Amino acid sequence: MSNQATLSLRKDWDGGVSPFGVSYGKMFMWFFLVSDALTFSSLLCAYGFMRHKFAGDWAVPNDVFTHFPFLHGDHPLAYVGFMTFDLIMSSVTMVLAVEAGHRLNKRQVAMWLFFTIIGGFIFVGSQCWEWYHFITGEASNQQYREYWMNGKHIIDPHFQGANLIVNAYTQLPTFGDFFFCITGFHGFHVFSGVIINIIMLIMVLNGVMEKRGHYEMIEKAGLYWHFVDLVWVFVFTFFYLL
Amino acid sequence: MDFFEEYKGYPNYEKAAIHDEAHGKVVRKKLWMVFWIMLVITIAELIIGSQFHFSEINKEYTFIFLTLVKAFFIVWIFMHLGDERRAMKYAIIAPYTLFIFYLAFMAITEGVYSKVIRDALVSMVLHQ
Repeated sequence: MSNQATLSLRKDWDGGVSPFGVSYGKMFMWFFLVSDALTFSSLLCAYGFMRHKFAGDWAVPNDVFTHFPFLHGDHPLAYVGFMTFDLIMSSVTMVLAVEAGHRLNKRQVAMWLFFTIIGGFIFVGSQCWEWYHFITGEASNQQYREYWMNGKHIIDPHFQGANLIVNAYTQLPTFGDFFFCITGFHGFHVFSGVIINIIMLIMVLNGVMEKRGHYEMIEKAGLYWHFVDLVWVFVFTFFYLL
Repeated sequence: MDFFEEYKGYPNYEKAAIHDEAHGKVVRKKLWMVFWIMLVITIAELIIGSQFHFSEINKEYTFIFLTLVKAFFIVWIFMHLGDERRAMKYAIIAPYTLFIFYLAFMAITEGVYSKVIRDALVSMVLHQ
């Protein structure tokens, strides 16, 4: 038996076939995603470091992200919940597009890709909205009107919201910095994912994939899109829940 | 015309996943099932996050566990890593996991230690 295993191993790694059983493009999409995941993980680890260093002074997310469109009052986490639902939903439509591609069904691929693009735009728009309310800050429970800037102690009773130097949610500028950096980096990934999906949709509608005889390009774009969803799952946990 | 077409007998991996209508139905059923699981987990997270107030450390572990479950479903089912060969699975998962668990451990340990040092310094200054 061990002899047989050696034989099959030799056959896999002898050349002439892919030892991983995937095409060149898909394998390198995976390797790119691993390196991108390392970037995001190190950002989140740096966030975890700061979070533990300033454990008592960190802002409570329930008090910061309380807005919901067209509704007054406090709705903690409701809007991020909606954003998460939207991204999971668009992830499902993407995987359905990939599945339709496996059946070589051009019409369904185009349809599901279109829904994925709509979901992506909703997410990017939601993030803009979220940033706007974080920056202008109309929450009732903001407390930090005093801060140090350029070596001076400033008391500003009208100060609201957040920027890279000060924020009204905690005395630590790091809170705002990490929020802008990580959600911004993720939002940029979502945006480029939407662009990639639009290019895929145009290619599908032009019949490029049909000519090739397979829809593997959709699968690769799908890998990127699912990766964006994967990162959001972690960002959602570490920024909004904990 | 294609570089790879020169290799006669090189397997066409691009077409390996193509399947018929009947198998597609099975796959779609599984995908929707995963969607409902993820939705339930997310709603549970939101309810725990906004309503419950139990001890900080339990909250942390609950959320991280639920997040890892969701991450597993995304990577294994949605990204089809579960359907790949074992060599491929290990090539993707092993280096990443090894490095990141180590990095997370270092960052958290060092963060907690920095807090101890910082608190000690602050109390020293205050008591002078």
